[in-house]
Amino acid sequence: MIIMSMRSQIYEWNSQTGTAATSWTNANSGNSVSIFIGGFGNNITKPAETTATQFVVIEDVAVSPTAFLVSGTAAVGTYYRGLEEGGPVGGNGVYGNRAYIQIRINTTDYFLDPDNVGNDGIPGAASPYPRSTDFQPCFNLYPDVYVLPGQVFDALVTCYQNGAFADAGTAPAKESSQLYAFMKYTLYDGPDALIANKLLEMGISINPGNVDWYKRTLIQSQSAPAMA
Amino acid sequence: MRSQVYEWSNLAPSGATSSLRRTVDAVPVDVPVNREYDIFIGGIGNNITKPAETTATQFIVIEDIACSAYLGGALQVRINTTDYFQNPDVTDQAGVPGLASPYPRGSSDKAVADALTDSVQLLKSFDLYPDVYVLPGQVFQILYSLQTANTSTSATTVVAAFVKYTLYDGPDALIANKLLELGVTINPNNVDWYKRTLIEQQQRSRVAATATNGGSA
Repeated sequence: MIIMSMRSQIYEWNSQTGTAATSWTNANSGNSVSIFIGGFGNNITKPAETTATQFVVIEDVAVSPTAFLVSGTAAVGTYYRGLEEGGPVGGNGVYGNRAYIQIRINTTDYFLDPDNVGNDGIPGAASPYPRSTDFQPCFNLYPDVYVLPGQVFDALVTCYQNGAFADAGTAPAKESSQLYAFMKYTLYDGPDALIANKLLEMGISINPGNVDWYKRTLIQSQSAPAMA
Repeated sequence: MRSQVYEWSNLAPSGATSSLRRTVDAVPVDVPVNREYDIFIGGIGNNITKPAETTATQFIVIEDIACSAYLGGALQVRINTTDYFQNPDVTDQAGVPGLASPYPRGSSDKAVADALTDSVQLLKSFDLYPDVYVLPGQVFQILYSLQTANTSTSATTVVAAFVKYTLYDGPDALIANKLLELGVTINPNNVDWYKRTLIEQQQRSRVAATATNGGSA
């Protein structure tokens, strides 16, 4: 068995994976849905949480992009750079799902509006997944989000555009109009989680480089000759 | 200390010009030309409940602003009553053009029907550095304006704006103020550095106190 106490991890969510009963439909627009246990697309078996010996650092979140054009000039179902125009009859000039992704730790939403009210999170237009030359990020999650031992964490997707999903198009377009979300995080386990806690106490950013630096410091202090 | 974003667009429920929460299948509304609209409480598109301001225990660092690259759109930052971007003769200007800081990145500079087939992918030519500081108790506005009408008889263009900022709250806001006094740039790294310095100072004083007491704490 290989023991790796510090691991880069990812989670990708696709709203259309699974059975027809669990595929995303227009009825879900406007609702925030967990990418882990929301009941749509691919899910996991239990809420995402850290054990007493784990520490998670979320480093990136992204969701399907959106493009903004002109309403009333193209029929609903028209495609722009792989994104479908949905919305009301006649089109509203929004291409794609108009999706957002929010991080929740226990019961607290991470992203707030300036009036301190929780918002929908990062727009897919700012942090697109997948990235391309057409859809580039203008947001990076810095400082990172820390999930301390024993906390539950979640990523919630909300979208506000009907008709831009797989059920609206034919085969090639279907694929491009799916709703995706992506999370990149680092899992610190065992001794590395203890070091991560120590770094947090010391006010040092938790990343693999700093965890390694702390280990080296410990080794150096142990191997230093005893003072006379 | 938290990374935050705010996205505004001129999308509102049919028959309304603004809404507090985003709504499904919202439609674009007219944004009159050559007027500045606060993206937080300007009365167009998605808005928040009150003007954006920092409390006595908050400090905000605005790190990026961007807006739609067409129709001559631009974004200005206003702190209390002072506009951040000015002309060299200290007269008013519209701010950072969407062409210089496009949102979304990679979008086209056209929003007309033929944009469906165009291949322009704009990159940013502007970086908000140094960042803009909003001190405790200050009100800030992000003002969007456009130079060309976004509404014709048959079509309305969707326009959007984006702000990325870091919110320092509680003890981190105090440290941010201290860094400002010291003339050190306020960013998460420097706030962490100041915390470490405080901890090291405390440890040194503890060791010194122990030594003064003859080895007993």
